[in-house]
Amino acid sequence: MQLVIEHLKKNFEKKEVLKDISFTFEQGKIYGLLGRNGAGKTTFFNCLNEDLEVDGGRFYLTDKEKIEDCDIGYVLSTPNVPEFLTGREFLKFFIDINQNRIKDLKSIDEYFELVQINEEDRDRLLKDYSHGMKNKMQMLVNIIMNPQVLLLDEPLTSFDVVVAEEMKNLLRDIKKDHIIIFSTHIMELALDLCDEIVLLNKGVLEYVDKRQKKGEPLKEKIIEALKGE
Amino acid sequence: MIKSFVISFRLKNAYRINSIIYSLKQLPFIKKILPNRLYQNKGIKIFGNIINILLEILNIFLGKFLYIWLMIFSLLGIYEGNSPDIFLHLFFFLTLAGAILNTYMFNPTKDKYYAMILMNMDAREYTLSNYFYAMIKTIVGFLPFTVLFGYLAGVPIWLSFVLPIFVCAVKMIMAAYNLRVYSKERKVINENNPPRSYWIFVGLFLLCAYGLPFLKITLPSVVVVIFFFLAILVGLLAFKSIWKFSYYRKVYKELLLNSPVYMTSENLKNQVVRENTLKQIEYDERFTSTKSGFAFFHDLFVKRHRKILTLAIKKQSIVLIFLFLFFVVVLLLNKGIHQQVNTILLTYLPYFVFIMYLLNRGQTVTQAMFMNCDHSMLTYRIYRTPKVILGIFKERLKTLITLNLIPASILGIALPVLLYITGGTDNPLNYLVLFISILAMSIFFSVHYLVMYYLLQPYNAMTEMKSSTYSIVQGLTYFVCYFMIDLQLPTMTFGLAISVFCILYSVISLFIAYRFAPKTFKLRV
Repeated sequence: MQLVIEHLKKNFEKKEVLKDISFTFEQGKIYGLLGRNGAGKTTFFNCLNEDLEVDGGRFYLTDKEKIEDCDIGYVLSTPNVPEFLTGREFLKFFIDINQNRIKDLKSIDEYFELVQINEEDRDRLLKDYSHGMKNKMQMLVNIIMNPQVLLLDEPLTSFDVVVAEEMKNLLRDIKKDHIIIFSTHIMELALDLCDEIVLLNKGVLEYVDKRQKKGEPLKEKIIEALKGE
Repeated sequence: MIKSFVISFRLKNAYRINSIIYSLKQLPFIKKILPNRLYQNKGIKIFGNIINILLEILNIFLGKFLYIWLMIFSLLGIYEGNSPDIFLHLFFFLTLAGAILNTYMFNPTKDKYYAMILMNMDAREYTLSNYFYAMIKTIVGFLPFTVLFGYLAGVPIWLSFVLPIFVCAVKMIMAAYNLRVYSKERKVINENNPPRSYWIFVGLFLLCAYGLPFLKITLPSVVVVIFFFLAILVGLLAFKSIWKFSYYRKVYKELLLNSPVYMTSENLKNQVVRENTLKQIEYDERFTSTKSGFAFFHDLFVKRHRKILTLAIKKQSIVLIFLFLFFVVVLLLNKGIHQQVNTILLTYLPYFVFIMYLLNRGQTVTQAMFMNCDHSMLTYRIYRTPKVILGIFKERLKTLITLNLIPASILGIALPVLLYITGGTDNPLNYLVLFISILAMSIFFSVHYLVMYYLLQPYNAMTEMKSSTYSIVQGLTYFVCYFMIDLQLPTMTFGLAISVFCILYSVISLFIAYRFAPKTFKLRV
């Protein structure tokens, strides 16, 4: 499976944020999306998630005629969970309304185990969860939904080092069946976790070859590219 | 200091104009015509400045005119006695009460927040220059009306000229006193949330102002005049201490940043709205649900928001029952008013549109729906599928209609009963029309708020209100309902018309919501 983007354009009035983006993302890989502040990373994700109408171009999955709502999952940097529900109720609701779509349905507790949410926290209101726990729940719901494309907008920044490592391992585990696009400002994280690095610079996507030639440091190469040098 | 004043004035103008442009850019259709570069447009800035100056002039004079006219001059007729004495008596005590609640200096406003906190302007220079400008505005604003209404009331003209200076002096004394409180106790008085003792004084002054003349007691003019001049003398000393005070930055940091009642930036305001709506969530282990899917989700929402849903409706219903019983007793004891009440019930049904507007919980509930539920759920693409959106919409509609129908039914039964007690009507259909129209209005408001919410979903992911259209619709709803207060129409005619309208509106708007909500119900980007 591939996510193919062809001539994608998005303008805000006269400002061209995404200019004619064409790129192919492949299943089984984690893509690190790097870009400077205001480069349009969130706009790019919002377009793929159809939160924003695009001004031109198209994108599609190679094994599907039409992208459906369950095909794309979007994890935002700020966790969003319905605060009046407990963790367990939130998962139950999601499973209830998506029963037909979920493959290999597990018990709710098994799902909690997956992201290591303690037993005593599972029946607490989500409004009393910490930022990191809310983020885990958000990630978990997207994992349960098992979308083919997973968009992650700086999802690890709020986690402590232990949880961040767990989440990285989780992403590595699930990448085989997914296309994961991971936006971050932390270059070390991108280089450590991601299989491919993509730069969003001046409205276009550029692929950066991670395989370094001897004596050519990757970090400097990326920074120079982002600076436009 | 003059430079500081000019900078702060320009700053105030700039953000007011930008706010106007921003609001215009939120309007449907218009936002497509107006480009972003409008913010740079000199013509618009000049136009905005002219509007600002006009608003400033209005602000200087209008309030003072209304104040003296409504709170003093128009009341002279109800008291017996010498007009000039009563005029001066009222003016004196109201000024004392006003000085406590309206110091200007201790009012946490956006202007001050932007200038002193965000722009880091010199707090003393900013405060003093703007404070003296405010005092000059007070004198200039009061003068024409103290002279005009003073003349009409028979107050000597020279004294009418002294009155605005007295107002200024008392305000300065109060400001100096509050600064002294800060110097001694490190306590900042917020004029929007004054201490209890201040309220006691305000109450006392108001009582003296309006109560004493009823007992034919007024302060003799000579005494008032002596107080005026004393106050002006003390005011000069107050001016000196205001001038010398050197902790304005500390005072305003405390006032503008830590005040629980003051919210300046949108983020902070949203944060408070958000915190308040989060407080509405009530967790009790007994509140679980045996349902599944949308029904489960919604059932828990209702159970965890009892405060604003079931409990609020219960309170409303109890109050309505008590009011109903009270009116029944009054009518049984006093047959003399039967005719009047009967006429009211047969001609004032439009008034109940406004009452139903006030009773309906739709606005509060849709806000909680967004803040505590949809705000997060709409970020999940799966929640935005037509099946989920319409499934939850249906559950919500059922709950809103059912809950709002409870107090509506009480009112719907109470009105025909009161009509019967007061002598009834020749046409028995009036009883039925009263009942049905109240229920129809209740359904109308439930549908209206929910449909508007689904069609215009006005908030973005940061829980900021981003739709002027939504605000306009809310405002129009209020305006139309308020307008109904003055309408007098036969209950039969109006009742039938409003019932048909409510039913048609509900059917059509539900059809539109079903058709378009899956497209419109999303977070604003």
